[in-house]
Amino acid sequence: MVAGSVGGEADIHFDTVKVSVSPDSWVDVHTKARDDLDLVFFSWLSAIHWSNDVQAGDSLNEEVDERFEVLTTVGDLTEGRRVTFSTRLPIDSPSIASLVGVYTGADWHERETYEMFGIVFEGHPNLVHLYLPESFIGNPLRKSYPLLSREVKPWPGTVDVEAMPEKPEAPEEPSTENPEA
Amino acid sequence: MTIDTDAIRHLSEAQVSVELETEDMTLNIGPQHPSTHGVLRLVARVDGERAYNVQPVIGYMHRGYEKLSEVRTYPQITAIVNRIDWVSGYANEIPFIVAAEKLMGLDVPERAQYIRLILTEMARISSHLIFMASYPLELGAATPLFFALRERERVLDLLEGVTGGRFHPNFNRIGGVKPAYGSGSATRKMIQDLPAGFLSETREAMDQVLDVTDELEALVAGNEIILARTKDVGVLPPEVAAAFGVSGPNLRASGVAFDLRKAEDYLPYHLFEFDVVTGENGDCWDRWWVRLQEIRESAKIIQQAVDGIPSGDLQAKVPKVIKVPKGETYVRAENPKGEMGYYLVSDGGQGPYRLKIRSASFSNISILPWILEGALVPDIIAIMGSLDFVLGDVDR
Repeated sequence: MVAGSVGGEADIHFDTVKVSVSPDSWVDVHTKARDDLDLVFFSWLSAIHWSNDVQAGDSLNEEVDERFEVLTTVGDLTEGRRVTFSTRLPIDSPSIASLVGVYTGADWHERETYEMFGIVFEGHPNLVHLYLPESFIGNPLRKSYPLLSREVKPWPGTVDVEAMPEKPEAPEEPSTENPEA
Repeated sequence: MTIDTDAIRHLSEAQVSVELETEDMTLNIGPQHPSTHGVLRLVARVDGERAYNVQPVIGYMHRGYEKLSEVRTYPQITAIVNRIDWVSGYANEIPFIVAAEKLMGLDVPERAQYIRLILTEMARISSHLIFMASYPLELGAATPLFFALRERERVLDLLEGVTGGRFHPNFNRIGGVKPAYGSGSATRKMIQDLPAGFLSETREAMDQVLDVTDELEALVAGNEIILARTKDVGVLPPEVAAAFGVSGPNLRASGVAFDLRKAEDYLPYHLFEFDVVTGENGDCWDRWWVRLQEIRESAKIIQQAVDGIPSGDLQAKVPKVIKVPKGETYVRAENPKGEMGYYLVSDGGQGPYRLKIRSASFSNISILPWILEGALVPDIIAIMGSLDFVLGDVDR
């Protein structure tokens, strides 16, 4: 229903309605969602970096198209309907129109996505870093950005790299305090 | 001698404008101010007694949880998400755990769901009691603090009795809740369940919580100074709140009867009777009043849940190594501060490919530049306090 009224491809998975739209219609889609579908509540905006060269965390099992996916979730304030909108941006100099004119609350979310992913939001009134100092170089949530602590000491997550400590010698008689032993 | 009237008028006008020209001052509030509940800095342009162009500076507590969760396994992340809003750590775990369970297709045993619900509501009560303690204190009334914190301690003791932690319980497991000593025989599991006497103590504690809400209401609602400082101060219209993504008690205080406990099904709230409390004007006073009523509603939910808790398992059957199948989902929950949600993207591995954390306080304080525009300087504290945010929940 949402896809029909705003245009785009809808997909429902695990109770989440996700509508994929083109980056050109980004602002239009959200304006329609707000005005026609009564989705007045702006929940969040963020992005995903789909990458085959993952520097931090597990790599993907299958090859993907290298891209950024920008996501927003908006909802109504009566029945609890919510829709996640998604669009794809190229890896090189990604940019998209700002939603601040439609949902004022997009302001901080776009600033966060700008500093974390390096995605430029055109028409944003104050596109500067939000959390990080202005002198910070790099976009930490890109998959190409390594986690420094992992560079210093690898931690696969499944197995500890350090040898387990020697087991203390088992007491001869099981303690009465802890029947599990 | 001719008089140049134009010149005189010009001069006198210049004189007037010079006299009325006041110098703007830039006022820095924080980062270390008690009313900021963490480390928040506000930069305000102050003209006389009014503040303009207030800009919050955040990020002093940014811990990079979204990046960190990309290199952690699912069971490890419950310990991280606990620390987002540390005033109600338990409630933060729920939407994340439910998101992982949804992708895995797990059915959580009913008893575990009841325990989750009871503890979530306890977290809500303790979070709102902190607000009941700190907000009047910020306005100069110290007494409510003693009443509120005494009751909060009782609730935290109960929470600690079950989970072992006061602030960071880390008690949820994917598929249920943590049995006290790991696995064992069926009889052991029953013994290792909730601590002995928990249900009766909880019932009693909720009666006392209900009593203390009456005391708090009598203390605060009859205080003329507090009424004068909060009524019609910091009015937030519902349309503005929605566009900014303000949620939870702050949204309901503006008259919007929207509660994710009614709208979503992450926990079995539909089994219990409770009201969604709303305010009328959306001012600071309504935000205080709505939270007081929510303590009462939560206490009622807990009493019903304690009476109706079924017996059974605490854990669904899960593999020893948790791997979440490929998929994406967004699960949101009504946390004490508002809508808390996780957009979880899994690629079938032991940790998420991407975890977007939508925290309530982040959107709730993005309203500050709007709501503080032109406010009196003393009202800045009254308005900020009434929004009840935690900086860990803002910065993540």
